[in-house]
Amino acid sequence: MLDRHAPDPGAAPMAAPDAQYLDVVAIRKAFKGVTVMDGLDFRMARGELVSLLGPSGCGKTTLLRIIAGLMQADDGSVILAGRNIASLPPHKRNISVVFQNYALFPHLSVAENVAFGLRARGMSKADAVKPVREALALVRMQDFAERSITALSGGQQQRIAVARALVVRPHLLLLDEPFSALDRKLRETMQVELKSLLRDRGITGIFVTHDQDEAMGVSDRIAVMNAGRIEQFADPSTLYATPATPFVMDFVGLSTRLSGRVAAQEGALVAVDTDLGRLRAPGTLAPGTPVLIGVRPELIRLDGGADMNRVDLVLEDVAILGSKTMLQGRPGAEDRLLCELAGIRNCKARGDAVSFHWAVEDTLLYDLSAGATP
Amino acid sequence: MSTARADRIGLLVLPGLAYLGLIYALPLFLLLLKSFRDATGALSVAEFVQIFGDPLQRSIIARTLRVAFLVTLLALVIAWPTAIVMRSARGGWLSLFLVAIILPMSLGVVVKAFAWSILFRSNGFINQSLMTMNLIDAPIRLLFTETALVIGAANVFLPFMVLPIYAVLQQQDPNLPDAAATLGAGPYQRFFKVIVPLAMPGVVAGCAFVFSMAVSMYVIPSLIIGERQQTVAMQIARSFLFLRNEQLGSSLSTILLLIAVSVVLGSSWLAARLGARQ
Ligand SMILES: Nc1ncnc2c1ncn2[C@@H]1O[C@H](COP(=O)(O)OP(=O)(O)O)[C@@H](O)[C@H]1O
Ligand SMILES: [Mg+2]
Repeated sequence: MLDRHAPDPGAAPMAAPDAQYLDVVAIRKAFKGVTVMDGLDFRMARGELVSLLGPSGCGKTTLLRIIAGLMQADDGSVILAGRNIASLPPHKRNISVVFQNYALFPHLSVAENVAFGLRARGMSKADAVKPVREALALVRMQDFAERSITALSGGQQQRIAVARALVVRPHLLLLDEPFSALDRKLRETMQVELKSLLRDRGITGIFVTHDQDEAMGVSDRIAVMNAGRIEQFADPSTLYATPATPFVMDFVGLSTRLSGRVAAQEGALVAVDTDLGRLRAPGTLAPGTPVLIGVRPELIRLDGGADMNRVDLVLEDVAILGSKTMLQGRPGAEDRLLCELAGIRNCKARGDAVSFHWAVEDTLLYDLSAGATP
Repeated sequence: MSTARADRIGLLVLPGLAYLGLIYALPLFLLLLKSFRDATGALSVAEFVQIFGDPLQRSIIARTLRVAFLVTLLALVIAWPTAIVMRSARGGWLSLFLVAIILPMSLGVVVKAFAWSILFRSNGFINQSLMTMNLIDAPIRLLFTETALVIGAANVFLPFMVLPIYAVLQQQDPNLPDAAATLGAGPYQRFFKVIVPLAMPGVVAGCAFVFSMAVSMYVIPSLIIGERQQTVAMQIARSFLFLRNEQLGSSLSTILLLIAVSVVLGSSWLAARLGARQ
């Protein structure tokens, strides 16, 4: 079933249809009988920057290690540039990894760390000098070549880890939560820097992160992972505007959540009865189906026409968030209403009775019945 | 005020210093002093000149150094794979390894040396096994040989080699070999370019322990090799106890001390140099 054909190591990848430069197919993985991945598929194009976004423990590192060859999948294949590399050892894959803790070699200098991959490939010390200098210049660390690794700050270590990974011209670059050890300010600078660096050089890369803002900021597309599965794989705006599952809706951005039951199908719309009254959403579902209704907070207004969805509530909380205000209501244990208003002078306070209005077509609708695709 | 406080806390080392000075440094100093005096009590290096001029004494010193070197080497060769396996062992297996390595230390060295001498006897286990396997026709002489001494001593000192190496291996970031692999390093390169260099401080410490113990061992050679092939430590004991030649004994002690001190200083210099890069 698996194609065990091994390509010659180090050879340039053959031309492959761009859309499937990397094709990870039906990966299954269990640890001591506990399945953490059950038939995961993942596909990306050459030159793309993709984020793997998901909560801690959902299997991001495991997937990365399987792609890099540091871990064997129980089943499935990893196809890079048209060949199955599932049985190749990691040192023959030419896939570079930037580790979460950087994993720089403490017994080597900065320059020796960067030279490691070139030397491992048999390049002489003299020949490695120039590419190492170039790679260090790329991350603006050329003045640190002879320093000891332990004498570097976290941000500098990360730059060296990136230089070390890029100097070997990898077919694919994997970054496991590369910014998680940096403080917030530095993290934002490094994100911008790294994105343009990889973009300029046409690197195909996968960022692992549990931070949605980071994923939105650095990547062309985001694969949202949950419990060993990819729930949705789309560009940031699609992901935000039309989350495929309640999990994606909650994990990417904030949102109103109201549970209810389908009352009737009204043409292209579904009428849903909730504790706060009847709401409408685009879709087709049988009456009686349990559903979840979602709305992004910036789509909700405090006034609106009769053709809009409307709920009346008492504000539970008013939070000033810099340039915007978040109004929150909690009509039920699971239900939550969120309205984001621009500006901070809204004269609304906790305890005020208000009405939330939003357009029917902005309403997200999820089938919660057992057996429905998540 | 805080320095005054620190000074007063510093006084706490006084009992320890006094103890070490009285029990350790003073006798050693007197011994050193004796080795640099001749029979009349005048300062001289005559005793050393005589020792290094005597072929018997020279051969004893050479044997002692050779045996200590071989013991260290053998212990290192056995300790490496053991420490590597222990690093990847978890839970029960790890405890088992640690007990197997530490427990024999609580067994007196006399007991162990006797156990070895039973193994090495001409009708002992090793000879019997070799004969049963038809590898040899007649028993070979093992007891009272340098080979037996090296094997026996390496066994006794093994924990002092395994534990420091295990300690450094266990502290290594397991991502480092993985990082090397993704950079194109095969298993051999990962081992020799990453794992071994990072373990060097532990190797140096283990070698220093084992060498300084092996160079000064007395009980093990007395029991395994006997009086026939002496080591420096045995010779020292003999000169004090039987020959009543305190001059010879203290001079040999000084030589042994110099060897031990240079091993300790050399290894700590090496460890510091290796450590500075990390
Ligand atoms: N070596 C391992 N042995 C046992 N379980 C593991 C191992 N590695 C990962 N897991 C389990 O697999 C799941 C996914 O882990 P991981 O891929 O590290 O998640 P993430 O990187 O998304 O936080 C977790 O439940 C974790 O406990
Ligand atoms: Mg992880």
